[in-house]
Amino acid sequence: MSIMDHNGGSVIAMAGKDCVAIASDLRLGAGAQTIAMNFEKVFPVTDRLYMGLPGLATDVITLREKFRYLTNMFHIKESRPLQPSTFAHLLSSTLYERRFGPYFCEPVLAGLELTPSGTYQPYIAGTDLIGCLNFAKDFIVAGTASDKLFGVAEGLWEPDLGPEDLFETISQTLLNSVDRDAYSGWGAIVHVITADKVVTRTLKGRMD
Amino acid sequence: MPDMSVLAGPQQHQFNPYAENGGTILAIAGADFTVVAGDTRQSEGYSIQTRYAPKVFRLTDRAVLAVNGFAADGNMFVKKVKQRLEWYRHAHAKDMPLRAIARLIQTMLYAQRFFPYYVYNILGGIEEDGSGAVYSFDPVGSYEREACRAAGAAQSLVQPFLDNQIYFKNQTAAPGQSHPTHLPLSDVLSIVIDSFTSATERHIEVGDGLEIYIVLAKGRSLQGVEGLRGLREMSSREDGERVFVLQRELKKD
Repeated sequence: MSIMDHNGGSVIAMAGKDCVAIASDLRLGAGAQTIAMNFEKVFPVTDRLYMGLPGLATDVITLREKFRYLTNMFHIKESRPLQPSTFAHLLSSTLYERRFGPYFCEPVLAGLELTPSGTYQPYIAGTDLIGCLNFAKDFIVAGTASDKLFGVAEGLWEPDLGPEDLFETISQTLLNSVDRDAYSGWGAIVHVITADKVVTRTLKGRMD
Repeated sequence: MPDMSVLAGPQQHQFNPYAENGGTILAIAGADFTVVAGDTRQSEGYSIQTRYAPKVFRLTDRAVLAVNGFAADGNMFVKKVKQRLEWYRHAHAKDMPLRAIARLIQTMLYAQRFFPYYVYNILGGIEEDGSGAVYSFDPVGSYEREACRAAGAAQSLVQPFLDNQIYFKNQTAAPGQSHPTHLPLSDVLSIVIDSFTSATERHIEVGDGLEIYIVLAKGRSLQGVEGLRGLREMSSREDGERVFVLQRELKKD
């Protein structure tokens, strides 16, 4: 079994109409043994950008703190909003710095990008553990249940979902996927990001 | 060039009698019908051997068998099951009931316990009480009757989708209402086609064509199959259980 699967956990992001959603399960394990059921893997980067970090838990925490430092430094030095596309390339180059001894995480981004006309545009992206960016129009999945997430998301997702429909779609996709994965599950957390607010909901799931 | 082979260490060669030929199968039972489907791509590694190799077979007018895994074993296994069913017909002058076929398949698989058929089987059809039934097997004959099952290369993509759409897992019915235990045929066919187009999109070993077998209980109306494009009847008589095949294209890339 890969070190990527040691602690378990999965993340998914989806794009909707003028909104994005990102969700993770809450399990932290050590192989088949469950250690905690409140281990969130999605973290805020800015008001309109969230980052999911499934993978080796020690690297999840290291990277979360590293990117908290890097975004703080960006705000101090540049005194302007950090856009998702900017952060995606910061993420990519930070991970590639460790090309031959990588952090064992596959980050997922979901946010809203400010356009020149002043509106916000859905932005989702994912990378592998060495920072190869993947810009998808529909959804990004990562973690131990990624194959299941691909299958369910491909079946449930449709273009231009509103915030409420997007919440339902990402929640159903995540819950049904982690229920078929022994290393993910034990509840879930979902963030739906719109231009004016972020709605965060904790989901009850199967606890077995 | 001098003979360097004397310098090399001892070399071992081993024959591997098994291969994995990709593809995916799926079956869903309704109240008075069963749908069994499989894609028609056969591959080995990254190569496509053929775009049309059926994985779903009519056994009798009320039983359909889908086989997935090692294609050579699958074809041989279907051949032997058909042969046993023919012997049963000669001995008893009737078709073997579905639950009996399921048990037969178990014993035939377990007979090869120490050199197994490398095949996952899904048996679908109509039970003697007229209900739709799906039996799924592992390669050594462990089996179970279920309402739906996916197997093969894209099992992990399709099964959680089916849990959601067939069993209504993680969905709460409106107050005072309940989820249906069986879906109508038209809904089931839509879910089957959606499952395979999704699997084709995200799995390289799934695609090319889709073959859907529909088994209808004795006396059931043709509602849900009438007017389907390219429907072909496979059953030997119209007054018993009836078997139909539906073919659809899947993406070939």
